[in-house]
Amino acid sequence: MSYDWEFGPVLARIDMLLIGLLNTVKIAAVSICLGVLIGLLLAFLRLSPRRILRFPAAAFIEFYRNTPPIVHFFWFFYALPVLLSVSLSPYLAAVLALSTQSGAFYAEVFRGGIVSVERGQWEGARALGMTRSALMRRVILPQAFARMIPPFTERSFELLKTTALASTLAYADLLYQAMLVNAETFRPLEVYTTIAVMYLVLLVTASQLGRYAEHRLTAYQ
Amino acid sequence: MNYTPDFSIVTDNWIVLMRGLVVTIELWIPSVLFGLAIGFLIAQMRLSPRRLLSVPSLVYVELFRDTPVLIQLIWFYYAFPLLIGAQLSPFSAALLGLSLNTSAYCAEIFRGGIRSIHRGQMEAAKAIGMTQAQAMRRVILPQVVKRMLPAFTNRMIEVAKMSSLASVISVHELMYQGRLLSATYYRPFEILTAVAFIYFVLIYPGTFLAGRFEKRLARSN
Repeated sequence: MSYDWEFGPVLARIDMLLIGLLNTVKIAAVSICLGVLIGLLLAFLRLSPRRILRFPAAAFIEFYRNTPPIVHFFWFFYALPVLLSVSLSPYLAAVLALSTQSGAFYAEVFRGGIVSVERGQWEGARALGMTRSALMRRVILPQAFARMIPPFTERSFELLKTTALASTLAYADLLYQAMLVNAETFRPLEVYTTIAVMYLVLLVTASQLGRYAEHRLTAYQ
Repeated sequence: MNYTPDFSIVTDNWIVLMRGLVVTIELWIPSVLFGLAIGFLIAQMRLSPRRLLSVPSLVYVELFRDTPVLIQLIWFYYAFPLLIGAQLSPFSAALLGLSLNTSAYCAEIFRGGIRSIHRGQMEAAKAIGMTQAQAMRRVILPQVVKRMLPAFTNRMIEVAKMSSLASVISVHELMYQGRLLSATYYRPFEILTAVAFIYFVLIYPGTFLAGRFEKRLARSN
Protein backbone atom coordinates (compact mmCIF):
# COMPACT_ATOMS: atom_id res chain seq x y z
CA MET A 1 0.00 0.00 0.00
CA SER A 2 2.92 2.34 -0.66
CA TYR A 3 1.58 3.77 -3.89
CA ASP A 4 2.45 7.42 -4.57
CA TRP A 5 -0.57 9.19 -5.95
CA GLU A 6 0.37 11.67 -8.65
CA PHE A 7 -2.59 13.52 -10.15
CA GLY A 8 -0.51 16.23 -11.86
CA PRO A 9 -0.18 14.63 -15.33
CA VAL A 10 -3.88 13.75 -15.33
CA LEU A 11 -5.04 17.19 -14.26
CA ALA A 12 -2.82 18.72 -16.95
CA ARG A 13 -4.99 16.89 -19.49
CA ILE A 14 -8.31 17.65 -17.85
CA ASP A 15 -9.48 19.42 -21.03
CA MET A 16 -9.41 16.06 -22.86
CA LEU A 17 -11.54 14.53 -20.13
CA LEU A 18 -13.98 17.45 -20.22
CA ILE A 19 -14.44 16.97 -23.96
CA GLY A 20 -15.20 13.33 -23.20
CA LEU A 21 -17.72 14.32 -20.53
CA LEU A 22 -19.44 16.65 -22.98
CA ASN A 23 -19.62 13.89 -25.61
CA THR A 24 -21.07 11.50 -23.02
CA VAL A 25 -23.82 13.99 -22.16
CA LYS A 26 -24.46 14.65 -25.84
CA ILE A 27 -24.86 11.01 -26.83
CA ALA A 28 -27.07 10.35 -23.80
CA ALA A 29 -29.37 13.29 -24.61
CA VAL A 30 -29.74 12.34 -28.27
CA SER A 31 -30.36 8.69 -27.39
CA ILE A 32 -32.98 9.53 -24.75
CA CYS A 33 -34.91 11.67 -27.28
CA LEU A 34 -34.78 9.01 -30.00
CA GLY A 35 -35.44 6.26 -27.46
CA VAL A 36 -38.64 7.97 -26.32
CA LEU A 37 -39.88 8.16 -29.93
CA ILE A 38 -39.07 4.48 -30.54
CA GLY A 39 -40.59 3.58 -27.18
CA LEU A 40 -43.83 5.42 -27.95
CA LEU A 41 -44.12 3.67 -31.30
CA LEU A 42 -43.42 0.25 -29.77
CA ALA A 43 -45.83 0.79 -26.87
CA PHE A 44 -48.53 1.87 -29.32
CA LEU A 45 -47.98 -1.28 -31.41
CA ARG A 46 -47.78 -3.47 -28.32
CA LEU A 47 -51.16 -2.22 -27.06
CA SER A 48 -52.85 -2.64 -30.43
CA PRO A 49 -55.75 -5.11 -30.50
CA ARG A 50 -54.35 -6.53 -33.77
CA ARG A 51 -52.02 -9.48 -33.34
CA ILE A 52 -50.09 -8.63 -36.48
CA LEU A 53 -48.95 -5.36 -34.87
CA ARG A 54 -48.74 -6.61 -31.32
CA PHE A 55 -46.61 -9.67 -31.89
CA PRO A 56 -43.59 -8.16 -33.72
CA ALA A 57 -43.41 -5.32 -31.18
CA ALA A 58 -43.45 -7.82 -28.30
CA ALA A 59 -40.72 -9.90 -29.94
CA PHE A 60 -38.57 -6.81 -30.53
CA ILE A 61 -38.97 -5.64 -26.93
CA GLU A 62 -38.24 -9.07 -25.44
CA PHE A 63 -35.20 -9.55 -27.63
CA TYR A 64 -33.67 -6.24 -26.60
CA ARG A 65 -34.48 -6.71 -22.93
CA ASN A 66 -32.84 -10.12 -22.83
CA THR A 67 -29.55 -9.49 -24.62
CA PRO A 68 -26.53 -7.54 -23.32
CA PRO A 69 -26.11 -3.96 -24.58
CA ILE A 70 -22.52 -4.54 -25.72
CA VAL A 71 -23.84 -7.05 -28.26
CA HIS A 72 -26.13 -4.35 -29.67
CA PHE A 73 -23.24 -1.91 -29.94
CA PHE A 74 -21.08 -4.39 -31.85
CA TRP A 75 -23.98 -5.56 -33.94
CA PHE A 76 -24.80 -2.05 -35.12
CA PHE A 77 -21.17 -1.14 -35.70
CA TYR A 78 -19.86 -4.30 -37.37
CA ALA A 79 -22.82 -6.41 -38.50
CA LEU A 80 -25.40 -3.93 -39.79
CA PRO A 81 -22.97 -2.21 -42.22
CA VAL A 82 -22.18 -5.59 -43.79
CA LEU A 83 -25.86 -6.32 -44.21
CA LEU A 84 -26.74 -2.96 -45.74
CA SER A 85 -23.33 -2.34 -47.34
CA VAL A 86 -23.12 1.10 -45.73
CA SER A 87 -20.61 2.35 -43.24
CA LEU A 88 -21.65 3.80 -39.88
CA SER A 89 -19.59 6.16 -37.76
CA PRO A 90 -19.00 5.06 -34.16
CA TYR A 91 -21.28 7.90 -33.04
CA LEU A 92 -24.14 6.82 -35.29
CA ALA A 93 -23.78 3.12 -34.39
CA ALA A 94 -23.72 3.97 -30.68
CA VAL A 95 -26.79 6.21 -30.96
CA LEU A 96 -28.65 3.50 -32.87
CA ALA A 97 -27.72 0.85 -30.29
CA LEU A 98 -28.57 3.05 -27.30
CA SER A 99 -31.84 4.40 -28.67
CA THR A 100 -33.24 1.08 -29.88
CA GLN A 101 -32.29 -0.60 -26.62
CA SER A 102 -33.71 2.16 -24.43
CA GLY A 103 -36.72 2.31 -26.77
CA ALA A 104 -37.53 -1.28 -25.84
CA PHE A 105 -37.32 -0.43 -22.14
CA TYR A 106 -39.26 2.84 -22.50
CA ALA A 107 -42.00 0.96 -24.37
CA GLU A 108 -42.49 -1.22 -21.31
CA VAL A 109 -42.54 1.87 -19.09
CA PHE A 110 -45.24 3.50 -21.22
CA ARG A 111 -47.26 0.32 -21.55
CA GLY A 112 -46.94 -0.43 -17.82
CA GLY A 113 -48.25 3.05 -16.99
CA ILE A 114 -51.26 2.70 -19.28
CA VAL A 115 -52.29 -0.80 -18.22
CA SER A 116 -51.88 0.11 -14.54
CA VAL A 117 -54.90 2.44 -14.73
CA GLU A 118 -57.76 0.59 -13.03
CA ARG A 119 -60.45 -1.08 -15.13
CA GLY A 120 -63.19 1.01 -13.57
CA GLN A 121 -61.66 4.12 -15.12
CA TRP A 122 -61.81 2.62 -18.61
CA GLU A 123 -65.35 1.34 -18.09
CA GLY A 124 -66.52 4.62 -16.58
CA ALA A 125 -65.15 6.64 -19.48
CA ARG A 126 -66.69 4.27 -22.00
CA ALA A 127 -70.02 4.37 -20.18
CA LEU A 128 -70.00 8.15 -20.62
CA GLY A 129 -69.78 7.54 -24.37
CA MET A 130 -66.16 8.60 -24.95
CA THR A 131 -64.40 7.34 -28.04
CA ARG A 132 -61.15 5.44 -27.57
CA SER A 133 -59.02 8.48 -28.36
CA ALA A 134 -61.04 10.78 -26.08
CA LEU A 135 -60.87 8.20 -23.29
CA MET A 136 -57.11 7.94 -23.68
CA ARG A 137 -56.55 11.68 -23.80
CA ARG A 138 -58.91 12.73 -21.03
CA VAL A 139 -58.90 9.86 -18.56
CA ILE A 140 -56.15 7.31 -19.00
CA LEU A 141 -53.03 9.21 -20.11
CA PRO A 142 -53.18 11.96 -17.46
CA GLN A 143 -53.22 9.29 -14.75
CA ALA A 144 -50.76 6.99 -16.47
CA PHE A 145 -48.30 9.83 -17.05
CA ALA A 146 -47.63 10.35 -13.34
CA ARG A 147 -46.97 6.64 -12.86
CA MET A 148 -44.54 6.54 -15.78
CA ILE A 149 -42.23 9.21 -14.40
CA PRO A 150 -40.29 7.20 -11.77
CA PRO A 151 -39.50 4.21 -14.04
CA PHE A 152 -38.76 6.64 -16.88
CA THR A 153 -36.12 8.52 -14.89
CA GLU A 154 -34.66 5.22 -13.71
CA ARG A 155 -34.32 3.96 -17.29
CA SER A 156 -32.74 7.24 -18.41
CA PHE A 157 -30.27 6.92 -15.54
CA GLU A 158 -29.38 3.41 -16.74
CA LEU A 159 -28.95 4.74 -20.27
CA LEU A 160 -26.54 7.38 -19.06
CA LYS A 161 -24.41 4.63 -17.51
CA THR A 162 -24.63 2.48 -20.65
CA THR A 163 -23.13 5.29 -22.77
CA ALA A 164 -19.71 4.20 -21.43
CA LEU A 165 -19.94 1.24 -23.84
CA ALA A 166 -19.67 3.63 -26.79
CA SER A 167 -15.95 3.80 -25.95
CA THR A 168 -15.57 0.22 -27.20
CA LEU A 169 -16.47 1.53 -30.68
CA ALA A 170 -13.86 4.31 -30.32
CA TYR A 171 -16.44 7.06 -29.84
CA ALA A 172 -14.70 9.86 -27.93
CA ASP A 173 -16.78 9.65 -24.75
CA LEU A 174 -15.39 10.10 -21.24
CA LEU A 175 -14.07 6.55 -20.93
CA TYR A 176 -12.39 6.63 -24.36
CA GLN A 177 -10.75 9.97 -23.60
CA ALA A 178 -9.54 8.48 -20.32
CA MET A 179 -7.92 5.62 -22.24
CA LEU A 180 -6.10 8.20 -24.38
CA VAL A 181 -4.94 10.11 -21.30
CA ASN A 182 -3.82 6.83 -19.76
CA ALA A 183 -1.78 6.00 -22.86
CA GLU A 184 -0.03 9.37 -22.58
CA THR A 185 0.56 9.43 -18.83
CA PHE A 186 0.81 5.75 -17.80
CA ARG A 187 -1.16 6.64 -14.69
CA PRO A 188 -4.12 4.21 -14.80
CA LEU A 189 -4.97 4.48 -11.12
CA GLU A 190 -5.24 8.28 -11.20
CA VAL A 191 -6.94 8.42 -14.61
CA TYR A 192 -9.60 5.82 -13.92
CA THR A 193 -10.21 7.10 -10.40
CA THR A 194 -10.65 10.63 -11.78
CA ILE A 195 -13.19 9.58 -14.38
CA ALA A 196 -15.00 7.37 -11.85
CA VAL A 197 -15.45 10.52 -9.75
CA MET A 198 -16.55 12.47 -12.85
CA TYR A 199 -19.14 9.83 -13.67
CA LEU A 200 -20.24 9.84 -10.04
CA VAL A 201 -20.76 13.60 -10.07
CA LEU A 202 -22.58 13.43 -13.42
CA LEU A 203 -24.86 10.58 -12.34
CA VAL A 204 -25.64 11.96 -8.90
CA THR A 205 -26.49 15.32 -10.50
CA ALA A 206 -28.69 13.54 -13.05
CA SER A 207 -30.50 11.55 -10.39
CA GLN A 208 -31.08 14.69 -8.31
CA LEU A 209 -32.46 16.47 -11.39
CA GLY A 210 -34.65 13.44 -12.06
CA ARG A 211 -35.95 13.49 -8.51
CA TYR A 212 -36.64 17.21 -8.74
CA ALA A 213 -38.50 16.79 -12.05
CA GLU A 214 -40.47 13.90 -10.58
CA HIS A 215 -41.43 16.02 -7.61
CA ARG A 216 -42.52 18.97 -9.77
CA LEU A 217 -44.43 16.89 -12.29
CA THR A 218 -46.41 15.04 -9.64
CA ALA A 219 -46.89 18.07 -7.37
CA TYR A 220 -50.58 18.32 -8.24
CA GLN A 221 -51.34 15.00 -6.56
CA MET B 1 -29.47 -5.65 -49.50
CA ASN B 2 -27.69 -8.19 -51.68
CA TYR B 3 -25.78 -9.75 -48.81
CA THR B 4 -26.32 -13.48 -48.42
CA PRO B 5 -25.78 -14.60 -44.86
CA ASP B 6 -23.94 -17.89 -44.47
CA PHE B 7 -24.50 -19.33 -41.03
CA SER B 8 -22.23 -22.33 -41.60
CA ILE B 9 -19.44 -20.17 -40.14
CA VAL B 10 -21.37 -20.30 -36.84
CA THR B 11 -22.00 -24.04 -36.87
CA ASP B 12 -18.34 -24.71 -37.82
CA ASN B 13 -17.13 -22.71 -34.83
CA TRP B 14 -19.87 -23.78 -32.46
CA ILE B 15 -17.38 -25.31 -30.06
CA VAL B 16 -15.54 -21.97 -29.65
CA LEU B 17 -18.76 -20.16 -28.78
CA MET B 18 -19.75 -22.91 -26.34
CA ARG B 19 -16.38 -22.63 -24.64
CA GLY B 20 -17.10 -18.92 -24.26
CA LEU B 21 -20.53 -19.69 -22.86
CA VAL B 22 -18.97 -21.90 -20.19
CA VAL B 23 -16.72 -19.02 -19.08
CA THR B 24 -19.75 -16.67 -19.08
CA ILE B 25 -21.53 -19.06 -16.71
CA GLU B 26 -18.40 -19.46 -14.57
CA LEU B 27 -18.33 -15.70 -14.19
CA TRP B 28 -22.06 -15.24 -13.81
CA ILE B 29 -23.06 -17.73 -11.08
CA PRO B 30 -20.21 -17.00 -8.61
CA SER B 31 -20.77 -13.24 -9.08
CA VAL B 32 -24.42 -13.67 -8.13
CA LEU B 33 -23.58 -15.82 -5.09
CA PHE B 34 -20.81 -13.52 -3.83
CA GLY B 35 -23.06 -10.54 -4.53
CA LEU B 36 -25.83 -12.04 -2.42
CA ALA B 37 -23.53 -12.88 0.49
CA ILE B 38 -21.71 -9.52 0.55
CA GLY B 39 -24.97 -7.70 -0.12
CA PHE B 40 -26.58 -9.30 2.92
CA LEU B 41 -23.74 -8.07 5.16
CA ILE B 42 -23.88 -4.58 3.65
CA ALA B 43 -27.65 -4.49 4.24
CA GLN B 44 -27.10 -5.37 7.90
CA MET B 45 -24.64 -2.49 8.17
CA ARG B 46 -27.05 -0.15 6.38
CA LEU B 47 -29.80 -1.04 8.86
CA SER B 48 -27.57 -0.61 11.88
CA PRO B 49 -28.44 2.25 14.23
CA ARG B 50 -24.70 3.04 14.50
CA ARG B 51 -23.65 5.73 12.06
CA LEU B 52 -20.13 4.31 12.00
CA LEU B 53 -21.59 1.29 10.20
CA SER B 54 -24.49 2.78 8.28
CA VAL B 55 -22.67 5.73 6.65
CA PRO B 56 -19.79 3.76 5.04
CA SER B 57 -22.21 1.16 3.73
CA LEU B 58 -24.36 3.92 2.21
CA VAL B 59 -21.29 5.37 0.48
CA TYR B 60 -20.36 1.89 -0.77
CA VAL B 61 -23.80 1.27 -2.23
CA GLU B 62 -24.02 4.68 -3.92
CA LEU B 63 -20.49 4.41 -5.29
CA PHE B 64 -21.29 1.18 -7.10
CA ARG B 65 -24.76 2.18 -8.23
CA ASP B 66 -23.82 5.64 -9.51
CA THR B 67 -20.88 4.72 -11.75
CA PRO B 68 -20.99 2.65 -14.97
CA VAL B 69 -20.13 -1.00 -14.41
CA LEU B 70 -17.66 -0.89 -17.33
CA ILE B 71 -15.64 1.75 -15.44
CA GLN B 72 -15.67 -0.50 -12.38
CA LEU B 73 -14.33 -3.48 -14.35
CA ILE B 74 -11.62 -1.37 -15.99
CA TRP B 75 -10.73 0.17 -12.65
CA PHE B 76 -10.38 -3.23 -10.99
CA TYR B 77 -8.29 -4.55 -13.87
CA TYR B 78 -5.96 -1.62 -14.61
CA ALA B 79 -5.98 0.58 -11.49
CA PHE B 80 -6.64 -1.62 -8.47
CA PRO B 81 -3.52 -3.86 -8.93
CA LEU B 82 -1.30 -0.77 -8.53
CA LEU B 83 -2.95 -0.07 -5.21
CA ILE B 84 -2.45 -3.56 -3.82
CA GLY B 85 0.85 -4.16 -5.60
CA ALA B 86 -0.25 -7.48 -7.14
CA GLN B 87 -1.35 -8.48 -10.62
CA LEU B 88 -4.95 -9.62 -11.11
CA SER B 89 -5.94 -11.96 -13.92
CA PRO B 90 -8.71 -10.59 -16.18
CA PHE B 91 -11.08 -13.22 -14.81
CA SER B 92 -10.47 -12.38 -11.15
CA ALA B 93 -10.73 -8.63 -11.85
CA ALA B 94 -14.05 -9.21 -13.61
CA LEU B 95 -15.28 -11.50 -10.84
CA LEU B 96 -14.31 -8.93 -8.22
CA GLY B 97 -15.95 -6.04 -10.09
CA LEU B 98 -19.16 -7.90 -10.86
CA SER B 99 -19.50 -9.35 -7.34
CA LEU B 100 -19.04 -6.01 -5.63
CA ASN B 101 -21.36 -4.26 -8.09
CA THR B 102 -24.02 -6.92 -7.54
CA SER B 103 -23.58 -6.77 -3.77
CA ALA B 104 -24.48 -3.06 -3.79
CA TYR B 105 -27.76 -3.74 -5.60
CA CYS B 106 -28.50 -6.84 -3.51
CA ALA B 107 -27.93 -4.83 -0.32
CA GLU B 108 -30.70 -2.46 -1.39
CA ILE B 109 -33.04 -5.39 -2.12
CA PHE B 110 -32.33 -6.95 1.30
CA ARG B 111 -32.73 -3.60 3.03
CA GLY B 112 -36.04 -2.89 1.31
CA GLY B 113 -37.30 -6.38 2.08
CA ILE B 114 -36.27 -6.39 5.73
CA ARG B 115 -37.68 -2.92 6.32
CA SER B 116 -41.00 -3.93 4.78
CA ILE B 117 -41.60 -6.24 7.77
CA HIS B 118 -43.36 -4.46 10.59
CA ARG B 119 -41.07 -3.45 13.44
CA GLY B 120 -43.35 -5.17 15.93
CA GLN B 121 -42.22 -8.53 14.64
CA MET B 122 -38.59 -7.90 15.51
CA GLU B 123 -39.61 -6.51 18.89
CA ALA B 124 -41.82 -9.49 19.63
CA ALA B 125 -39.06 -11.93 18.63
CA LYS B 126 -36.63 -10.16 20.95
CA ALA B 127 -39.23 -10.03 23.72
CA ILE B 128 -39.43 -13.83 23.72
CA GLY B 129 -35.66 -13.97 24.11
CA MET B 130 -34.30 -14.38 20.58
CA THR B 131 -31.03 -12.75 19.64
CA GLN B 132 -30.89 -10.38 16.66
CA ALA B 133 -29.45 -13.14 14.47
CA GLN B 134 -32.05 -15.68 15.55
CA ALA B 135 -34.90 -13.25 14.97
CA MET B 136 -33.51 -12.45 11.53
CA ARG B 137 -33.19 -16.13 10.61
CA ARG B 138 -36.40 -17.47 12.12
CA VAL B 139 -38.84 -14.60 11.82
CA ILE B 140 -37.83 -11.90 9.36
CA LEU B 141 -36.06 -13.69 6.49
CA PRO B 142 -38.65 -16.44 5.90
CA GLN B 143 -41.25 -13.74 5.35
CA VAL B 144 -39.20 -11.50 3.08
CA VAL B 145 -37.64 -14.12 0.80
CA LYS B 146 -40.90 -14.43 -1.13
CA ARG B 147 -41.16 -10.65 -1.53
CA MET B 148 -37.56 -10.31 -2.67
CA LEU B 149 -37.59 -13.18 -5.16
CA PRO B 150 -38.64 -11.15 -8.26
CA ALA B 151 -36.03 -8.48 -7.51
CA PHE B 152 -33.27 -11.07 -7.08
CA THR B 153 -34.24 -12.83 -10.30
CA ASN B 154 -34.02 -9.48 -12.10
CA ARG B 155 -30.59 -8.92 -10.58
CA MET B 156 -29.45 -12.31 -11.88
CA ILE B 157 -30.54 -11.28 -15.37
CA GLU B 158 -28.63 -8.02 -15.07
CA VAL B 159 -25.47 -9.84 -13.96
CA ALA B 160 -25.71 -12.20 -16.94
CA LYS B 161 -25.88 -9.15 -19.20
CA MET B 162 -23.08 -7.33 -17.37
CA SER B 163 -20.80 -10.36 -17.62
CA SER B 164 -20.50 -9.62 -21.36
CA LEU B 165 -18.55 -6.46 -20.46
CA ALA B 166 -15.72 -8.67 -19.19
CA SER B 167 -14.82 -9.11 -22.88
CA VAL B 168 -13.44 -5.55 -22.76
CA ILE B 169 -10.77 -6.64 -20.26
CA SER B 170 -10.20 -9.80 -22.39
CA VAL B 171 -11.88 -12.44 -20.28
CA HIS B 172 -12.49 -15.26 -22.75
CA GLU B 173 -16.24 -15.38 -22.33
CA LEU B 174 -18.97 -15.56 -24.96
CA MET B 175 -18.80 -11.99 -26.23
CA TYR B 176 -15.01 -12.12 -26.41
CA GLN B 177 -15.10 -15.31 -28.49
CA GLY B 178 -17.74 -13.76 -30.71
CA ARG B 179 -15.59 -10.68 -31.30
CA LEU B 180 -12.54 -12.84 -31.97
CA LEU B 181 -14.37 -15.06 -34.45
CA SER B 182 -15.95 -12.15 -36.30
CA ALA B 183 -12.57 -10.46 -36.63
CA THR B 184 -10.89 -13.69 -37.78
CA TYR B 185 -13.38 -14.68 -40.46
CA TYR B 186 -14.79 -11.23 -41.16
CA ARG B 187 -18.31 -12.55 -40.82
CA PRO B 188 -19.61 -10.15 -38.13
CA PHE B 189 -23.26 -10.39 -39.15
CA GLU B 190 -23.62 -14.15 -38.72
CA ILE B 191 -21.43 -14.45 -35.64
CA LEU B 192 -22.73 -11.45 -33.69
CA THR B 193 -26.33 -12.42 -34.46
CA ALA B 194 -25.60 -15.94 -33.20
CA VAL B 195 -23.99 -14.52 -30.04
CA ALA B 196 -27.07 -12.36 -29.44
CA PHE B 197 -29.32 -15.43 -29.76
CA ILE B 198 -27.18 -17.48 -27.37
CA TYR B 199 -27.46 -14.69 -24.79
CA PHE B 200 -31.20 -14.53 -25.38
CA VAL B 201 -31.57 -18.27 -24.76
CA LEU B 202 -29.45 -17.95 -21.60
CA ILE B 203 -31.29 -14.92 -20.19
CA TYR B 204 -34.90 -15.30 -21.30
CA PRO B 205 -35.80 -18.12 -18.84
CA GLY B 206 -34.83 -15.75 -16.01
CA THR B 207 -37.08 -12.98 -17.31
CA PHE B 208 -39.91 -15.46 -17.70
CA LEU B 209 -39.39 -16.72 -14.15
CA ALA B 210 -39.24 -13.19 -12.72
CA GLY B 211 -42.58 -12.43 -14.39
CA ARG B 212 -44.11 -15.57 -12.88
CA PHE B 213 -42.80 -14.74 -9.40
CA GLU B 214 -44.21 -11.23 -9.68
CA LYS B 215 -47.64 -12.50 -10.70
CA ARG B 216 -47.71 -15.05 -7.91
CA LEU B 217 -46.67 -12.40 -5.40
CA ALA B 218 -49.38 -10.02 -6.64
CA ARG B 219 -51.98 -12.77 -6.23
CA SER B 220 -50.91 -13.73 -2.72
CA ASN B 221 -51.11 -10.14 -1.49
